[in-house]
Amino acid sequence: MPKLPGGELARRPLHFIWIADCSGSMGVSGKIQALNNAIREALPHMQQAAADNPNAEVMVRAVKFSSGASWHVARTVPVEQFRWDDLEVNGVTDMGKALQLVAEQLDPSVMPERALPPVLVLISDGHPTDDVSAGLQTLMAQPWGKKAVRIAIAIGDDADRGVLQRFIGHPELEPLQAHNAESLVKFIKWVSTAVLRSVSSPASQAVNADQRTNVPLPPIPDAKVEVDDVW
Amino acid sequence: MNQLLNSGEIVQMQPTEPGYEVEEFLGGGGQGEVYRARLLGAQSAGTPVALKWFFPHYLRQDPHLRTRLERAVDNGPPSDRFLWPQELVVAADRPSSFGYVMPLREDRFVGITDLVTRRAEPTLRALVTAGFELAHNYLQLHAKGFCYRDISFGNVFFDPQSGEVRICDNDNVSVDDGQGGSIGGTARFMAPEIVRGEAGPSTETDLFSLAVLLFYMLVNHHPLEGAKEARIRCFDLPAMTRLYGTDPLFIFDPDDISNRPQPGSHDNALALWPLYPRFVQTLFMRTFTDGLRDPYSRVRESQWRSNLIRLRDSIFYCQRCDAENFYDQDALRASDGGNPSRRVEWLTRFFSDRDALRASDGSSAACWSCASPHRLPPRMRIDSDVVMLNHDTRLYPHHLDAERSYSFAEPVAEVTQHPQNPQVWGLRNRSAQRWTSHDVNGQVNDVEPGQTVTLSPGLRLLFGGREGEVRF
Repeated sequence: MPKLPGGELARRPLHFIWIADCSGSMGVSGKIQALNNAIREALPHMQQAAADNPNAEVMVRAVKFSSGASWHVARTVPVEQFRWDDLEVNGVTDMGKALQLVAEQLDPSVMPERALPPVLVLISDGHPTDDVSAGLQTLMAQPWGKKAVRIAIAIGDDADRGVLQRFIGHPELEPLQAHNAESLVKFIKWVSTAVLRSVSSPASQAVNADQRTNVPLPPIPDAKVEVDDVW
Repeated sequence: MNQLLNSGEIVQMQPTEPGYEVEEFLGGGGQGEVYRARLLGAQSAGTPVALKWFFPHYLRQDPHLRTRLERAVDNGPPSDRFLWPQELVVAADRPSSFGYVMPLREDRFVGITDLVTRRAEPTLRALVTAGFELAHNYLQLHAKGFCYRDISFGNVFFDPQSGEVRICDNDNVSVDDGQGGSIGGTARFMAPEIVRGEAGPSTETDLFSLAVLLFYMLVNHHPLEGAKEARIRCFDLPAMTRLYGTDPLFIFDPDDISNRPQPGSHDNALALWPLYPRFVQTLFMRTFTDGLRDPYSRVRESQWRSNLIRLRDSIFYCQRCDAENFYDQDALRASDGGNPSRRVEWLTRFFSDRDALRASDGSSAACWSCASPHRLPPRMRIDSDVVMLNHDTRLYPHHLDAERSYSFAEPVAEVTQHPQNPQVWGLRNRSAQRWTSHDVNGQVNDVEPGQTVTLSPGLRLLFGGREGEVRF
């Protein structure tokens, strides 16, 4: 017999989508291994952050792009059941197609009636080889795309920061620059915990919290280069 | 690589002082990370403590943190329920940040998050006790001139067996001078004037956050999330600002039904709110109607404290299914008395459709769990307080001694069953004082410490300062 009437707190779904570059250049200097490792490393922290946030039901998916784009994890999986299979590299950088795929899933007919702003994390080390503007336009034409918290992580110096900046869509919020495996882990962990918390329940909000985005983003961690395996 | 400190690392107060060895990462938040650590080479060596270490990027945002923490360490904790900073520590190789040590939270405590997600399911008695403890201890904090600034889910833990609480994250605590730390609070818990950017945290805004937390604990829902919330598709910052800041409306506002909880979306509010006696509903109503607009209209901790004890004393068990229910003197009087329509009128102010009315009506006159009609146990009136005398009721100095309000350490009386005749119940004197009993036939007896007096209707008990009368 239950001791209390009612049930668990009403929650809104929070869709979190990784959009990962798997082009050939990601195979150089262990970048793809570092990304696989960073996401796997961050996952338990992400699961803990979600468990501590009773207002959100965190659902995770992943899109990969190289020559074409496809879902790496297609089914919306609750974060506690999410597992990360290694990404493999080949081909070019069809980022536009990846954004198209995401846009399809943010269509109001596919999205739930009521939700928290989705979180889209774009990770890339190079220049798009397809029509990224068309993809971006399709994404931003979706109301949920416009409302989404869009974060970009540039891996190494060859990433197209201009495109990543257009994806973010806020002039003052820049792409996070990962120069080594350590800073990549730091950023991946930050988006999957601190940003996740901010979206569902802005925790311990500062008095002068950042109001530039439609959710207050927590302070971005430092990414000092401390080791010499720099990309 | 993925955390600020490594196991085995040493932090210390001064380079010459004994240090603490970092043992294990416990958790992270927006300001820093918490580790289990152990004191080295001092008298109390080996004592495990909690160590909070700040993110360097957070320190830049909160330049007064160190001064605030030093003051907290100097002042000491307002009570033993606070996991209060004990000393500041630094690490030799990490000049860009610092941390502090505090008592380690025992495993028996769970978070409010565990409660609202029903990972922990305490009794109503433990839950109400936890609410009382929060009000009582925040009162101690405010009495010292401090405000907490960030009362929310993440900072409070309680023992689901006893209701005992632990209050963490005391690094935001500051003197209530309208300045201080950089924390404005946590979304959903911040007072509307903070959400609108018109005010900073203060004792008055703490009172709002406390009421939200108590509402979450007792009703398992947010007091402002009703029909208005259900209409919002994307719940982003502008939506939150409207709902909690510029356009807040209590879901049970007696004069405005436009934000009532919606079946399917807000079922907890519909199921749990009717469970509570009118005197508790009234407190929430005051804080979330007048108190939304006027910070000085908010219910004070002392009022929560006395009414939550009253609520705990009104718990009784369903005789059929054992579920805990609350005795609502006001509602029963209204329905049993000469004018039953008063109660219906009261309920229809909250529930517009007839099904909800029936359900809520039943919850006071019948058990919420098995719907069988209430059968009340004997109860004792002590001045204006009524205590239900259940098979496991204990009375404390709080009940029997007017000079010792809120003293619940050792019971001074307990309900006991007659060893030979289980139909007969009594009240055992566990105090060191002699009581005097007067039954309805005028017979007067002494009840020495250790003795038990049989409970009978109309029995009066003199406990020294206070007098109780038993009713059946």
